[in-house]
Amino acid sequence: MPMQNKPSGFGNPWFQLALSVAFVTAYELLLKLGATETAHIADARWAWTGISGLASLYVWLGIPLIILSLLTWLHVLRYIPLSIAFPLSQVVHVLVPLCSWLFLGELITSLRWCGIALVSLGLAIVAKPVARLEERL
Amino acid sequence: MTPLSLLLVFIALTSFVAGQLLLKKAMDASNAEGFRSRKFVVPFSAGVFFLTVQFFLNLGLLQRYDLSFIYPFQGLSVIIISIAAAIVLREKLTPQLVVGAVLISVGIILVSLT
Repeated sequence: MPMQNKPSGFGNPWFQLALSVAFVTAYELLLKLGATETAHIADARWAWTGISGLASLYVWLGIPLIILSLLTWLHVLRYIPLSIAFPLSQVVHVLVPLCSWLFLGELITSLRWCGIALVSLGLAIVAKPVARLEERL
Repeated sequence: MTPLSLLLVFIALTSFVAGQLLLKKAMDASNAEGFRSRKFVVPFSAGVFFLTVQFFLNLGLLQRYDLSFIYPFQGLSVIIISIAAAIVLREKLTPQLVVGAVLISVGIILVSLT
């Protein structure tokens, strides 16, 4: 596995993975805000494309974040095996509900709390051997 | 839920997995050969193509079904990508990775079933 020769500092792939996840979380929330804001625009003919969302500034703030999340993800793929990076990137399924709860006032049901707990446990199990491996390097 | 929409869900999931694998292959090649090599350009373009297919299929499915119906299938992608990475990309799959991937998948399904 090409885990060696990883750049350090800003180019560090683990840092870039964290950035990528932060970008995804932020753009999901921004798109939600934008979609809510533009839901009343009822030009039904084009409504299915979601294109009326472009009337919202939130959506335009989200778009560069989508691009940045893709670029950081590609950087991550250069150095981290997919079978580790992809499961770890799923932390968005914890962060998005939590941030929707904190910032958008959305409710989290008990079933959803259970799901968040399971994802977190899975993430810890995937991350632990990686952390040990990194320490040795 | 028609057989056609189930087929579309399946194609969307397969495209997503194929897209991620191809991007990984492309970025691996970029390490060894740079960004102008065919070994980067071909899988990269194919990967972007498959992710685009998945994006539009998903959009179409979302118009007809609830997010809580579509999302669990995406949860499965964690398990499928881990297994596919082991088979296609010859990545080493440890028992921890498998257990972690299964828990994450089940967790995503629970998060979306509300």
